[in-house]
Amino acid sequence: MRKRKFLFVLLLLLSITVVSTCSTFFYVKLNNVDYRTDEFLVMTSCNPIYIATTNVVGDTDGVTVQNLSQPTTGCLHDYTLTTEDMKNLSKADVLVVNGGGMEGYLEDVMEAYPELTIIDTYECLEHDSSYYDLHFVEENDEEILEDEHLEEEHTEEEHSEDGHHHDHEQNSHIWMDSEMFAVQVQAIADGLSELDASNASSYEKNASDYIDALNTKIDKQELDQKLSGDNVAVLHEAFEYTALSLGANVVATLDLDEERQVSAGEVSQLIDSIRDNNVRIVFAEYDYGKSVGDLIEEQTDAKVVYLETLVHGSYGASDYVTTMNDNYLKISNSL
Amino acid sequence: MFSEMFSYAFMIRATIAIVLISPLFGMVGTMIVQKRMAYFSDALGHSALTGIAAGVIMGIGNTTISMVLFGICFALLLNYISRKGLSSSDTLISVFASCATALGLAILSRGGSFSNYSAILVGDILSITVSEIIQLVVLFGVILIFWCYSINRLTAISIHATLAKSRSISVRVMEDAFAILIALLVMLSIKWVGILLINALLILPAASSRNISENFREYTYLAILFSVFSGVLGLFVSYFTDMATGPMIVIIASVIYFATYVYGKDR
Repeated sequence: MRKRKFLFVLLLLLSITVVSTCSTFFYVKLNNVDYRTDEFLVMTSCNPIYIATTNVVGDTDGVTVQNLSQPTTGCLHDYTLTTEDMKNLSKADVLVVNGGGMEGYLEDVMEAYPELTIIDTYECLEHDSSYYDLHFVEENDEEILEDEHLEEEHTEEEHSEDGHHHDHEQNSHIWMDSEMFAVQVQAIADGLSELDASNASSYEKNASDYIDALNTKIDKQELDQKLSGDNVAVLHEAFEYTALSLGANVVATLDLDEERQVSAGEVSQLIDSIRDNNVRIVFAEYDYGKSVGDLIEEQTDAKVVYLETLVHGSYGASDYVTTMNDNYLKISNSL
Repeated sequence: MFSEMFSYAFMIRATIAIVLISPLFGMVGTMIVQKRMAYFSDALGHSALTGIAAGVIMGIGNTTISMVLFGICFALLLNYISRKGLSSSDTLISVFASCATALGLAILSRGGSFSNYSAILVGDILSITVSEIIQLVVLFGVILIFWCYSINRLTAISIHATLAKSRSISVRVMEDAFAILIALLVMLSIKWVGILLINALLILPAASSRNISENFREYTYLAILFSVFSGVLGLFVSYFTDMATGPMIVIIASVIYFATYVYGKDR
């Protein structure tokens, strides 16, 4: 009887092992992507950076661009790396990141792969004065970056105290302003050229072509004139850059995501602010801003426009221009 | 395939952590199931949020310390009130768990910053560090010593408390010591396992073992075997399939539970 029981346990554990091993084997066989070891592997941290890097690399021979797995929902700040990401990073030659606190896992990556070169586009934009002279955008954006720089120092102190990466003080969604995005593209091209000098001319040419395309193909629908000086409210901090790129003043921000529990006080404060500042347009993300958006439309005269942040889902090389144009068209149609 | 897996430092650390945590879960789980304390350990898991919140309010940098301290206080208070017998223990545990969770959520979600702490809901064994592994080694030693010293006393109490008292066993001290032990295990492993799944890992291996065991020794050994097996296989499968480790371990432990349930029922 006892022997039979132990035989059962042995068979049970063996069969679970065999089934798990076989299904894992087939899963790996179907999904595994092997990179040639002689290829220059560029990993990117998020969709906007992936789009920028694929455009910079273009058809350059022997260079592969791979994006880390993207969260299907939620906030990019809190995303944790999967085992697949860790494996890919161990083979990568360079990791290109947005920076500015966007990638909460960056410290872990730097600790785990101290040899890995990281191109931080936010840092380039913030610290390299040549970018200010060549590409930098409007004055109000500069003010934001300066403020953020101070806030960054402040929040770094907080980091050391509580050990957390995420802070809501620092708005690093800079790609939402196409002029800042162009600076990011240039920073990526410069970074890659330094690391892979043999393809430097190709990177620089592709970057220059792409920046030209950004300047010519993005149609702001004359919103920079229509909304210039207007007060707007945003329900996602990414849209602060959208507003600023159009010359509008952001008078109220409520940063919503799926984990954000909004209190009644915050909503009433937002509604008061919208009323007091004669806000006629509010930018929001549909998934997390719809319910508060409905409330705003019910309680005020403001119109809520639902825009894309380019963070969730998968995007191709040309999707930045398309998405930006869609966003501007939606804003224009709502006026 | 395996050589590649162990070329990553994070996988070596995760495997060591699993090999340390899972036998503890199996071992402590047997007594939790035996003493019908499944609700108790679940409530403790949920109170981790309040522990973090207390740490944030008091400005304690390392929230693990505040979690452990809060967990111990929570467990002792729950035991104390349960002994008063004013209300049934499942009602009391439910009240305490809801209150602690609500308090933690209210404090941590202040200003919309709950997303900073949401990772604790599902846990992340891959991010474990060397110093945290050392914590687990110490915990492993403490639980093992406690277990060797008190297993007979705890078993006697679980069978009949009055009979245990007549044998000069201090029921109150033993119950409190065991509650502190559960609090330590839950709080020190919750970051890697997650609030949502920690109770499943404590209960499933022991419950599976109970389905087919005939004596206490068999019960303990099989629970440890099931726990280590689910833990290690779950970690390996999650590595290759790129799925979260905690849920994968629980899925394997659940399969073992259902198989032993069917086998045990037909005996």
